[in-house]
Amino acid sequence: MADAITIRVNGVERTLAVDGDRNLLSVFRTELGLTGTKYGCGEGHCGACTVLLDDQAVRSCVLPVSAVGGRSITTIEGLAENGKLHPVQEAFLEVQAMQCGYCTPGQILNAVSLLRRNPRPSEPEIRDAMSGNLCRCATYVRILRAVQLASQKLSG
Amino acid sequence: MDTSGSGITRREFLGLAGGLMILIGLPRGLASAAEDAAEAEAINAWLLITPDNRVTVFSGKVEIGQGLRTSFAQMVSDELTIPFSSVEMIMGDTTRVPYDEGTFGSESTRTVGRQIRAAAATAREILANMAAEEWGVKPENLVIRDGRISLANDPSKSISLGELTQGKRITRTLKGEAGLMPASEYKVVGKPVPRVDGPAIVTGGEQFVGDIRLPGMLYGAVLYPPSFGARLTGVDTREAEKLPGVVAVVKEGEFIGVVAEREDIARSARGAIRATWQEAKPAVQASLYDNFRRTASPEDTVVDDKEVASSLSSARHSFNATYRTAYVAHSPMEPHIALADFKEGGVTVWSSTQTPFPHRDDLIKALNLEASKVRVLMPRVGGGFGGRENSDVAVAAARLSRAVKRPVMVGQTRAEELTWNYFKPAALIDVRCGVSDAGLITAWDCDIYNCGDRGAEPPYGFPKHIRTLGCDSPLAQGAWRGLAGSANTFAIESHMDEMASTLGVDPVAFRLRHLDNDPRLAKTVQAVAEKYGWKPRKAPTGQGVGFACGNDAGSCCAEIAEIDLDKATGVVHVRRVVVSHESGLVINPDGIINQIEGGITMGLGMTLREAVRYENGKILTDSFGSYRLPTTKDAPVIETVLVGNPTHPPEGAGEPPIFPIAAAVSNAIFDATGKRLRELPLSPEQVLAALRA
Repeated sequence: MADAITIRVNGVERTLAVDGDRNLLSVFRTELGLTGTKYGCGEGHCGACTVLLDDQAVRSCVLPVSAVGGRSITTIEGLAENGKLHPVQEAFLEVQAMQCGYCTPGQILNAVSLLRRNPRPSEPEIRDAMSGNLCRCATYVRILRAVQLASQKLSG
Repeated sequence: MDTSGSGITRREFLGLAGGLMILIGLPRGLASAAEDAAEAEAINAWLLITPDNRVTVFSGKVEIGQGLRTSFAQMVSDELTIPFSSVEMIMGDTTRVPYDEGTFGSESTRTVGRQIRAAAATAREILANMAAEEWGVKPENLVIRDGRISLANDPSKSISLGELTQGKRITRTLKGEAGLMPASEYKVVGKPVPRVDGPAIVTGGEQFVGDIRLPGMLYGAVLYPPSFGARLTGVDTREAEKLPGVVAVVKEGEFIGVVAEREDIARSARGAIRATWQEAKPAVQASLYDNFRRTASPEDTVVDDKEVASSLSSARHSFNATYRTAYVAHSPMEPHIALADFKEGGVTVWSSTQTPFPHRDDLIKALNLEASKVRVLMPRVGGGFGGRENSDVAVAAARLSRAVKRPVMVGQTRAEELTWNYFKPAALIDVRCGVSDAGLITAWDCDIYNCGDRGAEPPYGFPKHIRTLGCDSPLAQGAWRGLAGSANTFAIESHMDEMASTLGVDPVAFRLRHLDNDPRLAKTVQAVAEKYGWKPRKAPTGQGVGFACGNDAGSCCAEIAEIDLDKATGVVHVRRVVVSHESGLVINPDGIINQIEGGITMGLGMTLREAVRYENGKILTDSFGSYRLPTTKDAPVIETVLVGNPTHPPEGAGEPPIFPIAAAVSNAIFDATGKRLRELPLSPEQVLAALRA
């Protein structure tokens, strides 16, 4: 059943004629060509599919498209503005908080969401907020450092 | 992204570019390389310098996240004195790169990396000789700097390395020792150069196999049996075939797969297939280790020092113990995935593999194709850890693509990833040791069941008798970061620690007492002790600090772990790890530190929590909810010392740091509680049981 669902994706209104039960991850990856959002588990456990719904990090693999009609979504492709990387992206690069890079988009978007609601998180708060984003390369010590660095950058 | 398909042969490809081509071969391969460079499979890498003064390096090794794309280019940049940004790496393409058995074993830098460095040095020498000849001077009258050769006494006479080649085809094969630059002259090697793929990764632009889109491509889903060993006895696919969006249901022997317009449709249609199965008699997990003993047959004798038997019987003290480690999953964040495009009797497969060439061979065999008709590409992979040597998904994609004559992508779900790939072998390790009155180990006798011999030999200079035994494994098993090394090092370093504490000797001093034979490891042990501020101690001290060390892949590693142990719940948290690592010449210090930190933190999973559970032929730990990886909450503070040894060639770093961590943590538990645990994972249940005993 195709429904017409309008979503603002990375600042652009998109009207999608898709079955509203399909998950956002699948629709973004196959219909919109936004492949920076990754499949990791399909059950909301790992965070590889994290996108921002308004300012909030959500798991796109378990979110039906019909639930986000009229809302605004940011994927990793839409985070940089006018070619300038977001401070969280800069921080991940500066700290080299990555190995295989598959989970990195989800890590970055989850960190952006954390810093929007809590600009100066403590280390335990960062550990807690980032614990749902798995990294099998286990670059966690760098991810923690990157979020701390991004917090400093954003707080000027 | 190269999506040009298989329409190019290796011979054509090699004929494309003019410039100086250096082929790097193993000694036995040199003859064949000279005769037919294009097809000589003994060539390990090649390097091309083009007139625009750029260098392209073709390597059979692949980038799994370990940073090879960056560190290989660093070496070439320095040896040729050209900018780092002028070096391009071509990896993971069976048409364009030389044969390679696969990227595993921490081998890339210490084998192909060294060869590429030598090839670059040789290219520099060849070009210097060419310039000397052309200008009628001796090579020693030339200066090579910034990618240019000039006359020492007349710098205005100068030419770039690339211009020297004049676009001609010049093929040379590396022979003998290359005149490497002294490490002191390196400008890029030894520097923490940021990874070249970083900007694409943080913007979502890095293209993994699942991100490739080909015109007209479809999605496939494979029908898996309900349990291990089940055989298909009947199948009815009519209902699945009728579903909207389904293109075909393909049956080839026991292989059944659905092809559909979308992945979710393919998976739903697979659910509509009615199949009947004859299930096998399932293995019972509770009797796993007993079954290892029952089914064991000798495999290899790893070390056979003759005096071990007599030394054991005459030893003043003896220490016998058995260690066990569980099956562990790789569970990379990107599940196995492949995209196949079968046309004109050949197939191009993009696959998330560590072993593109063995993959190609599997495809040739499974689909009965000519070797020249199969091309495997690995653009980028979301984690390897030894778990990407199987080609089942690639073969499935190729079968489906052949059947529907369109490109087909097949990806595993997380549950399939955690069920239908192979695991790190469970291990059972018996150690018997004799110690003299003077507190020196006189005999080490060890039987290793099921997991293999990697890291089996303790680095210490005492007599050893070590053998491996093969067993019936109820689960498919294979490589996992460091193979048996983490299991064997757990046994070795737990045992060393137990002997030290029983004898009342400081655990670090006890190791050093037996390391006269290995000055590199001894220095590495001293380095970590110094960094930590280690004070001689007699465990258990109640503090929860443990030490372990080991050698692997030519490198030495020593670790000190500090833990917090909750005596009410049995939960162990590793607070801090201090680690020293010596891997010869360091190409990229930040890259190595990243590997060390990742190895240790990943290792905490198998140390404390990860264990594959199974019942009735099914994997019970088939989701991230039931198979729990380490998270940010588990990450310790990690302080790393890189022990410098620049005159030693570069060695491996991907696996050595994961070897000692389990023993370091277990030894810390002993230090905290006086209780010795001998089975991985060191679960809260095991800790509580030990505390109550």
